[in-house]
Amino acid sequence: MTTSFPLARATGRAKPRRARWSRLLDPGEATLGALLLAPAAILLAVVIGYPVCKLIYTSFLDLSLTSGVPARFAGLANFQQMIEDPVFWQAAWNTILIALITVPGALIVGLALALLANLPFQMRWPARLSLLVPWALPLSFAGLIFAWFFHSEYGVVNDVLQRFGLSGIIWFNSSRLAFAAICLTIIWKTSSFMALIILAGLQTIPRSLYEAADVDGAGLVRKFLLITLPLLKPTIVVALIFRTITALQTFDIPYMMTGGGPGTSTVTLAMYIHQNTVSFLDLGYGSALAVVMFILSMAVTALYLRMIRGSEAVE
Amino acid sequence: MNLARLARLLLLSVALVTGPASAETQLKVYLSSQGQPAVWRKALDQFEARNPGIKVMIELGGATSDLQAQYLNTVMSAKDPSLDVLILDVIRPAQFAAAGWLSPFPEKDLQAYLRPYAEANTVAGKVVALPAFADAMFLYYRKDLLDKYDIPPPKTWEELAIAAQKITDGEHNPNLQGLSFQGKAIEGAVCTFLLPYWSQGKTIVENGKLAFDRDAAIKALALWKGFVDKGVAKRSIAEVATDDTRKEFQAGNVVFAVNWGYAWALFQGEGSAVVGKVGVSRLPALAGGQQSTCLGGWEWGVSAYSKHQDEAKKLAEYLSGPETSKFMAINGSLLPTYPALYTDSEVTKAAPWFADALPVVRTARARPVTPRYNEVSEVIRTTVNAVLAGVATPADGASQIESRLKRILH
Repeated sequence: MTTSFPLARATGRAKPRRARWSRLLDPGEATLGALLLAPAAILLAVVIGYPVCKLIYTSFLDLSLTSGVPARFAGLANFQQMIEDPVFWQAAWNTILIALITVPGALIVGLALALLANLPFQMRWPARLSLLVPWALPLSFAGLIFAWFFHSEYGVVNDVLQRFGLSGIIWFNSSRLAFAAICLTIIWKTSSFMALIILAGLQTIPRSLYEAADVDGAGLVRKFLLITLPLLKPTIVVALIFRTITALQTFDIPYMMTGGGPGTSTVTLAMYIHQNTVSFLDLGYGSALAVVMFILSMAVTALYLRMIRGSEAVE
Repeated sequence: MNLARLARLLLLSVALVTGPASAETQLKVYLSSQGQPAVWRKALDQFEARNPGIKVMIELGGATSDLQAQYLNTVMSAKDPSLDVLILDVIRPAQFAAAGWLSPFPEKDLQAYLRPYAEANTVAGKVVALPAFADAMFLYYRKDLLDKYDIPPPKTWEELAIAAQKITDGEHNPNLQGLSFQGKAIEGAVCTFLLPYWSQGKTIVENGKLAFDRDAAIKALALWKGFVDKGVAKRSIAEVATDDTRKEFQAGNVVFAVNWGYAWALFQGEGSAVVGKVGVSRLPALAGGQQSTCLGGWEWGVSAYSKHQDEAKKLAEYLSGPETSKFMAINGSLLPTYPALYTDSEVTKAAPWFADALPVVRTARARPVTPRYNEVSEVIRTTVNAVLAGVATPADGASQIESRLKRILH
């Protein structure tokens, strides 16, 4: 089979054989490339393509396991229902708001933590270790722990407030405070992930650049703005893509902290999908909601990728 | 090793693995963790002793009725045959039957059971599950404190508010609350809404159609919000779940509490601050209305996907039978579903308050019976939670319930 291998073409020995077998065995470089990629492509089609197609197909069905009637094609009925559903709009708005607040929040805190962990002092391992703890903690645990922290009677947050002579707050009695508590928790939980990625990026910046800047008499702020930040940009964009997509899929923390309450004021899109599919067994409507979330995630990723391409063109 | 020898060895190992299983049937029962699995285990041991060919294992999962339903929804929608017999909250048989997950009992006559349970387990004329035990919501009160202030158990919610305020004012105990009930967005909050709503003679569903009364709903929501505003209930009541109410009362921090039957045995148990100080009665009515209570209880269903249908049905019949019901009443304080057992001398000796519980269970009302109950429940409990937290007014809440229920029960 060496005749079909492209490297063989470079050797003169293979030439007469190639002439003889070329039409039958040598598939050409493009075809060969496709053949080599095929296993990966098939794997992707099976594990990603099929579920996505199935999801889109189900979103057009009237498929509720509690109705007792078999699935039937319903056209855009599920999407029509979504437009008229106030809880969907609430969930979509909450999801976007969580992304808008917690992604920049986690970026700023994560950047600060990474800079701290990158400082050239001897005892920086406690800073690095403390970065790993929130990252390694399961999301639902973080939600549960912070639900206790913010509990109106036995929570540590109100305890601290009362020690300073302030009155305790019933955090989960107010939509805004409950939302703020959730965002704080998400920022706490996710900033260490941002910090870990940014720390890796920081360590690729050559020290010689800073030494040269020192010679030129640049201060800390100038060094940060002119060296650190521009060289970190690709790392930051990658971290932002990951964080934004997980922010759009926020489920565990609000689920454990408020269960979507008070009322439905802190429900997220992922929670609403879970509720419709797992609790209400309305697989058609749940799939339609998931399609919207999928489109939202794809749009955001495309936007980021465009940003990277744009910045590369400028450079 | 030649091929024939290898094949023989393989056959032998297969026979070894499958051999014991074919001689003995393994059944798996799904039980609720709060439904005293240790006591049910004793009843299952008896069943195993009488049926030597059958072994029964217990599976637990989910801390609340909602979480258990979510777990079962996942297992059953995957057509997983691993569970044979399922314990179901009284609100679920209709949904499970509509989904085709339960195997019916065509020959079964439910007349011997309390009527509400016979009804809850009959869907479209078919018996789809068998009663496990009964339950209802009761008003628990501090007998010692009511006696001290010479107050009889209240018959109306208005009387309850006055009594609670008199006692909390007189006791000067900052930890003492007048009334504890369920305000968190859980199943218990559905009953919180329904108690005063039903008390006005209204229903949610009539003949399968929505029969919602907006004014009665506003009155019902305003009653509970009024308790919070007047200080009868605490301001953070929107955080309180069923077992929080039980713990607060058991710690001696509550005058009146709305809770299910399971709480009684715990109030009399070890570590309780209220042993011998607890009274229990029917829940009050709104002035001029009728006293109403929420029907609870659990049922045994046989999974349609079980591979041992006959054995599973035999087990469900046994667990639902009068003998097991009596055993669970005496050993687990679980209310029987057979009326005769409430006056049985052995039962009343073990749980003297059962005699008073019978009229409550008899008159308890079932929550709306519909296959889409989970959606109905979610609408009501999130709205009750929002009103109690103060993010929606009772009037807004009633409108929200009405418009969302219209879409579900059209």
